[in-house]
Amino acid sequence: MSSHDDPSGDNPSGDASDGTFDDAFDGTFDDIAAELTALAGFLDAPNPPPADVAAAVRARLEPGRPTTDAPDPEATRHTPAPAPVRRTPARLLRRRRWQVVTAIVLVVIAITAATPQGRAAVATILRLAGIEITLGATTPTPIATPTPLPGERVVALESLAGQVGFPIKVPAELGDPQYATVSDNGRVASMFWPGGIRLDQFDGSLSPYFFKKVGPPWPEEITVAGVTGWWLGGEHPLGYITRDDDTAVPLRQAKPTLIWQSGALCYRLEGAGGKERAVQVANSLR
Amino acid sequence: MKSDSSMDDDEAIGRSLAGDLAAYEALVARYSALAHRTAAMLGAGDEAEDVVQEAFVKAFRHLATFRRGSPFRPWLLRIVANETHNLTRSRGRRSDLAVRLSATADLRAPDDPEGAAVAQDRRARLLEAVRNLPERERQAVVCRYFLQLSEAETAQVLDWPLGTVKSSTHRGLARLREEVGSELA
Repeated sequence: MSSHDDPSGDNPSGDASDGTFDDAFDGTFDDIAAELTALAGFLDAPNPPPADVAAAVRARLEPGRPTTDAPDPEATRHTPAPAPVRRTPARLLRRRRWQVVTAIVLVVIAITAATPQGRAAVATILRLAGIEITLGATTPTPIATPTPLPGERVVALESLAGQVGFPIKVPAELGDPQYATVSDNGRVASMFWPGGIRLDQFDGSLSPYFFKKVGPPWPEEITVAGVTGWWLGGEHPLGYITRDDDTAVPLRQAKPTLIWQSGALCYRLEGAGGKERAVQVANSLR
Repeated sequence: MKSDSSMDDDEAIGRSLAGDLAAYEALVARYSALAHRTAAMLGAGDEAEDVVQEAFVKAFRHLATFRRGSPFRPWLLRIVANETHNLTRSRGRRSDLAVRLSATADLRAPDDPEGAAVAQDRRARLLEAVRNLPERERQAVVCRYFLQLSEAETAQVLDWPLGTVKSSTHRGLARLREEVGSELA
């Protein structure tokens, strides 16, 4: 994959001399980029159960095992031969995992399709940072009655980290939160600051936890702490997908929100002001 | 297991370096889905599972070369991309985009089958257009939009200069728009 395989891409300035693309370079590609990002949510790729993969890798690394990756010298020159162990269970289970993901997506679609606005514009679904975003052509109906997250309860700040299965981070820019909550049996940790600022943290690696519905303007891609984040600049309906039975619970109208993902952990920062301020706060997460 | 899942990457890497295989197991589980998706999308096809397992084994053995404090994700995905590249080269085949359009979409909006069919058709055409992109443009587009990597991460994963990522992405997007037109704007 070295860059000299194909010299054509190495000279960005060379594009200007290529008449075919002159027009395209005058504008941006936000529309096709958004469509591609949405398409990603509809692509199935193999995903054997992570615990099985981890166990298989560990088995190969156990000190008792010989460290020869591949007995076949021909294979060693390229990709060392895969260990033949453990293939079958992973393959059998793979399909099931995808069916689970599919079921969750269907829940979101069903909700969207149940409203006239949704039906007119079941346009596109983005899966980003553990959040499903339905993009419609029109502004979705606001949620009138706010509902808390399932099982949401206030906990002491010091005990927050001990009640969830992932590391908790705090944005240095905002200082210590006013209070914190844990929801849905330790799956979501939330922190609150004066002025309606809220930061939710959760492990969204397997399937989405939140869903959002937005009309134009659509989410804007921005860089947060070196990773891709998305800025939702308008108020929008926010909901939650429960783990136990995949029920989709409408929650409230969310204020402008920044979402991003670091490793398997997902963050949504709501009500922290404009885009620049939100990014500044997000960058200060420690 | 709770202590495993509550470790952040840096702590898991530190413990792995000290020989704690349970810590590394947690790290593998955390990145397994993304690694499989990357391998499949960069051309590993049916062999994505083997490529990923191999990549994780190699990553462990080379963990000492990982620069602590830098993000683990692009470092790992670069190994996955390399393994995938080795595989496709050794098999002498094109690195096809090995994904399929989810059947989910066929079932969406049951009271609007026509709209659903149009949307699904649109997705199929776009996916086909991505498949047919020249290899470099396809890889750039896949990393940026299907794997949702930043430009800098894409450059690291594919081992390209940043300028190449930018120009290949732009060329790819321009070609896609020519192929399928602009519908959502």
